[in-house]
Amino acid sequence: MISIRNISIRNKLVLMQVFTSVLVLGIFLVAFIITDIRSYKERRVKSLTSLAHVVGLNSESALFFQFQDEAREILQDLKNVLPEIVYADIVDAKGNTFASYKSPRADSFKLQRLTPDKLWVIEGNQLLVVDDMVKDGERIGKVMLQIEMTELTAVKKSKYSMGAILLFASTCFAFIIAFAVQPYISKRLLYLVNIMKKERTTGDYDVTIVDNGKDEISTLVQAYNKLMLQIKESQQRKDEFIGIASHELKTPLTSVKGYLDLLETVEDKQPNKQFVRKALESTHKLERLIKDLLDVSKIQSGQLSLNVSEFDIYELIDETIASSQMVSATHQIVREESSEAKQMIYADRQKIEQVLINLISNAIKYSPSENEVIIGTKKTDTELIVRVRDFGIGIPQEEIQDIFERFYRTKGSSVHISGFGLGLYICRDILKRHDGKIWVERESQGTSFYFSLPLQTNAQLMMPESVQEGGLALKYDDV
Amino acid sequence: MNKVLIVDDDVDILTLVKMTLTIHGFDVAVLSRWENIDNTIVNFEPDLILLDVSLAGADGREICKRIKSKQDTQHIPVILFSANIEMEKSIGDCKAQAFISKPYELSNFLQTIRSHITATRGNHSDN
Repeated sequence: MISIRNISIRNKLVLMQVFTSVLVLGIFLVAFIITDIRSYKERRVKSLTSLAHVVGLNSESALFFQFQDEAREILQDLKNVLPEIVYADIVDAKGNTFASYKSPRADSFKLQRLTPDKLWVIEGNQLLVVDDMVKDGERIGKVMLQIEMTELTAVKKSKYSMGAILLFASTCFAFIIAFAVQPYISKRLLYLVNIMKKERTTGDYDVTIVDNGKDEISTLVQAYNKLMLQIKESQQRKDEFIGIASHELKTPLTSVKGYLDLLETVEDKQPNKQFVRKALESTHKLERLIKDLLDVSKIQSGQLSLNVSEFDIYELIDETIASSQMVSATHQIVREESSEAKQMIYADRQKIEQVLINLISNAIKYSPSENEVIIGTKKTDTELIVRVRDFGIGIPQEEIQDIFERFYRTKGSSVHISGFGLGLYICRDILKRHDGKIWVERESQGTSFYFSLPLQTNAQLMMPESVQEGGLALKYDDV
Repeated sequence: MNKVLIVDDDVDILTLVKMTLTIHGFDVAVLSRWENIDNTIVNFEPDLILLDVSLAGADGREICKRIKSKQDTQHIPVILFSANIEMEKSIGDCKAQAFISKPYELSNFLQTIRSHITATRGNHSDN
């Protein structure tokens, strides 16, 4: 069964309005039809009672003088006045039938049971009225008339069908009106929800929603805007901090690294030279971390821009493998043979190199007890796919979704892995800006990271950053 | 001997770069106050200027533009030197020859400086 909670607010609003109007109209129609039919019956009772009274007055002398034929004639004449008549009886004071008439088409039952205090009875479409004949204050007998209300069925039928038509038409109207009116509430809410969804996926909180109303939704929108402003401000403060901190960290690092370089140049003795090498390796790591932090703050503030040129990606892959190989003595980085020697692409060479370095160093980092990393390439009609495969500790299924998030680091690892958890986040952003993708697949042993880059020149890549990014103030009309 | 003038308000970096370049066979002059740059250029006649971008009280890019706008100094190659890698984008704007980021990779650092000195030398002798 569909839970009401799961129905969209738009449909809820429509259903609510339709349900209310149908319910109200339904009650109204039922009451109306019942009253209408009852008043029809009352009218018939009243007219038949008057007729019975007239018959009573006319047959008074006949009953008094016991002229049965005369009384019968009077009753016979009734069929001319009232064709619906079925039975007509004149009963004397003792209860014996004095005169009676029976219509030729009287196949219906004769109503008999009549409580003393009741002067009429309706059963089905049969109506029986009884009127006392009174002479000089003495009850001398009574007139009993029974008619078949042939119209009643037709009247009922027409009322019911009219009710059904009205109900159907008004349900349709209610739907139309509800559909027309619901956007007034739902559109604003849905718009807000869409913005929230968008901000959740993009992480861009720089959207101010314009809503000039004074109702609860406007209050919600204003509260939301305020909240987003706070988030934006705190993000900005954090990004500024990262920016300044990384910058301030870089200057002393330059000094440390420079002096270590000098020391390495002049020092010949072992193990001193070895110590210097180790220190240099660590400064190299530190430098990478600072660079990552700075990159992230730039991504967040929308300042990371691409420097697009045409270059041979295979050459870049080979270069990156060679330089990564120099840093890592533990792993063999192998490039799978590709069918072509050259593949030109339009991209930011430095940024793509950064992606490759990141994936390769991750592959090495997460396969401490293995010694091989394989890089492969594949070409489709529209894109080039690069794969970096390791045989390491792998990624648990439940973490696959999260690994591209900021500051995400694998939880289940028994191995100590250093780093901030920014590398893949940066990679994803770089590829997104290239209209490419990055994804991961689990292998029976280890992991494969893939990234794709479009092969054709993309005009959007050449666009200045300010056009693609920047603050937005959307109105409902823009949706 | 190739003469390199280094302008940086951080004395630590200044000393470091001076020692590094001296060890690698350059004749080095250092300047921690950019205000004296004109005099130093006249007196030292550098083959290359390594210019920090964020100097106290001045923007290295503006100084570079000034050097490049003067008849008698415009031939001297200028390399911008900064911790902010975004500055690489502005080398074309201020007519600098190259950009070196802090911290630098020693081999790249030396190679960049050498290549720009030889390049200018070559152009110069052609003229």
